[in-house]
Amino acid sequence: MTRGRALYHLARADFLERVRRYSFLLTLAFAAGLAFLTYSGTISLELGEYRGVYNSAWVGSMMTLVSTTFITLAGFYMVKNTIQRDAQTRVGLVLATTPMSKSLYTLGKALSNFAVLAAMVAVLAGAAAILQLVRAEGGGLEPAKLLAPFVWVALPAMAMTAAIAVLFETLPLLRGGAGNVIYFFAWAAYVGLSGATGVNDYLGLGFFMRNMTGALKLIDPSHREDQFTLQAGPTVHATKTFLWNGVDWTPQVLLGRLQWVAIAMGIAWLAALFFHRFDPARGRARWAARGKKEAPEPEEDRAGANGAPVARAAAGQLTPLVRTAHGSRFARLVVSELRLMLKGRGWWWYLVAAGLFAASLAVPDVQARQAVAACAWLWPVLIWSQMGAREARYDTGKLVFSCAHALDRQLPAVWAAGVVLAVSTGGGLGIRSLMGGDWLGFSAWLAGALFVPSFALALGVWSGSSRLFEALYTLWWYAGPMNHVPGLDFMGMTPARFATVFYVLATLALWIAAYVGRRGKLGYA
Amino acid sequence: MQLIIDKAGKLYKGKVWALRNFSLELGPGVLGLLGPNGAGKTTLMNIIATITRATEGTVTWNGADLQREPDAVRAVLGYLPQDFGVYPNLNAVEFLEYFAAVKGLDAASARRRIDELLQLVNLADVRKRPLGGYSGGMRQRIGIAQALLNDPQLLIVDEPTAGLDPEERVRFRNLLSDLSGDRIVILSTHIVSDVEATATEIALISSGTLVTHAPPEELLRAAEGRVWEWVIPSAELSAAKQRYLISGTVRRADGVHVRLLAESAPAGAVPVAATLEDAYLHCLSTHRAQRAEASAR
Repeated sequence: MTRGRALYHLARADFLERVRRYSFLLTLAFAAGLAFLTYSGTISLELGEYRGVYNSAWVGSMMTLVSTTFITLAGFYMVKNTIQRDAQTRVGLVLATTPMSKSLYTLGKALSNFAVLAAMVAVLAGAAAILQLVRAEGGGLEPAKLLAPFVWVALPAMAMTAAIAVLFETLPLLRGGAGNVIYFFAWAAYVGLSGATGVNDYLGLGFFMRNMTGALKLIDPSHREDQFTLQAGPTVHATKTFLWNGVDWTPQVLLGRLQWVAIAMGIAWLAALFFHRFDPARGRARWAARGKKEAPEPEEDRAGANGAPVARAAAGQLTPLVRTAHGSRFARLVVSELRLMLKGRGWWWYLVAAGLFAASLAVPDVQARQAVAACAWLWPVLIWSQMGAREARYDTGKLVFSCAHALDRQLPAVWAAGVVLAVSTGGGLGIRSLMGGDWLGFSAWLAGALFVPSFALALGVWSGSSRLFEALYTLWWYAGPMNHVPGLDFMGMTPARFATVFYVLATLALWIAAYVGRRGKLGYA
Repeated sequence: MQLIIDKAGKLYKGKVWALRNFSLELGPGVLGLLGPNGAGKTTLMNIIATITRATEGTVTWNGADLQREPDAVRAVLGYLPQDFGVYPNLNAVEFLEYFAAVKGLDAASARRRIDELLQLVNLADVRKRPLGGYSGGMRQRIGIAQALLNDPQLLIVDEPTAGLDPEERVRFRNLLSDLSGDRIVILSTHIVSDVEATATEIALISSGTLVTHAPPEELLRAAEGRVWEWVIPSAELSAAKQRYLISGTVRRADGVHVRLLAESAPAGAVPVAATLEDAYLHCLSTHRAQRAEASAR
């Protein structure tokens, strides 16, 4: 009972702390946005040329798939900061001194994550009812049929996402930006696999695919399973409808879904094995310092403690500074920002970057070269993602923002350093375009080199975190440069009308957004 | 060189005034900022350091209104906040080089200055170690070095000796005294002995308002004749605490030596010279009594 009470309060306090932040409104707004896109038909569930009649079973299942597909991705990034917050607020140090077990802690955090994700699902469930009533093509509202998919499919999927987020936070290699990128690719691979195999996956893709396709085949035996798609885009392919009365929720089916809740609890428990209980000796600093020549044990000041007199300057002996004009120092500040960005990268980071640069310049096959060039601009994602968010992450805002020209010199210097990074890592493609006399391609590439750091800076300034950029940029990169969706390819490798102009204008808009955001945070201009 | 705070106020969300109708004029010297927790000291320093904007009133530096020209003070400001972070992968030199660039210092004089400052704050031996491995006191000292990088004319330090060992604390006090000749130093702390050792003026804040702004001697004079030492049995200590404002107790063989503030001496008590801590307590209790009386009326 005591453990249950502790678990409840652990999850409750964390949940309340989250929902009382403005960012929670963004979370709900994201869910509402998904609901609107589904309502407007931009997101739709199609089986080739068919879609289901908008009855409670179809609408509930479609909204459930929207939630399991999108919230398991975006929601992961939204909730993957619960342990980090306890470390930053130092509440964790207090918790660590209590009798609370590690498994109770990770379970409580997973529960809190689940509550946040479930709130987003609840928004979509409410929207599903409205959607059915508005469309009015499938009879009256049947709450049990409408809500059953949310309860038995969406909520277990959220439980899995919540637990995986906690597990990522406890693993040193996955708790940072690398984990964010890895999750994206793991998620994309899992979605692809679920859709292709039709297994009982936690997202429910295979589950609904089997069920709906089976029902459709009774009407149209020629229908193929690979035509099941959750379509995102303005083009609607479905021209016919069929009546689907929902899943038969047998005890066996329910057990199949509940197994994911049990697995989620197992993952949360597994996370406890890696959770270091806020032990500073096993924290980030020590991990980051590993491998350096002088292992930096948290130490006392030997210089002052050994009793030997130490020659020191007196305050009055400090060399007076010669004050010079501010403008001439900008280049030095850009170099400093670039050094700060790259600090801590191992030699292998530069080696990979150099390899990608050379390959994007020299590989003869066009498709392979484009793929390598795209990778060259994914490689620095964890560096760009620090832009604009670094002061919040390391709590250096008061030091930096009390310096002169923090807005009109330091902010542009951060951006310029990001552009230098873009040009130097992805330069192979630019040089190739120049060498081939492809001025349009070069200008498109250059627009991308300006756009990416601007995107990072704006998101970093406004969110105060690197995660938003890491999530959105990886998604954008995957659709654009990697899969050549026209218009989304900010590297200019996929021909699209007005793309260069769009990215130049977007750069400008994002720059203004970053400036306004930072200005607001400074308190003073 | 003049800093003028004129009727400044800061209203936080929830309609809480952290500072109200606060006025102060400062010239070169060390101002000791004293006050209980939540008095508004950090808010005041954040306003002067242009971290946050005053809701009302003005703050001017050499005639420049900081609401309109915050860079007028930022260019000559050294600020050590109570809580601040560091970049854990940078070493001391790299961290200071970064801030030298942000503050617009040229490379050559910044390098020389950084060397001197690392000597000054006694971190020269660990200059190449990542800051992530520094102890709390060492981080505090790198913060002090950062604040002195641009040879500031206005130095604001919030609880600067928190986390420092006694030897470093003494060294920092001496440093502040050395620095105070030709610049304005604002020192906020709860350690009255730090203020006693360095401050040329004291501003006492309570509930967001200025209680008094005076040289330490003037505060001491106000408490003179009201501080007593009284030796009582241990069993009577609790009753004495109920009755008097006690600034210290020491247990000795003959009983508990109680240091207390009162208008008249308890029977058997002897007068003693007031310390700044006594003066602080006296000033604060008088102010609270006046406020209580005013609100009762």
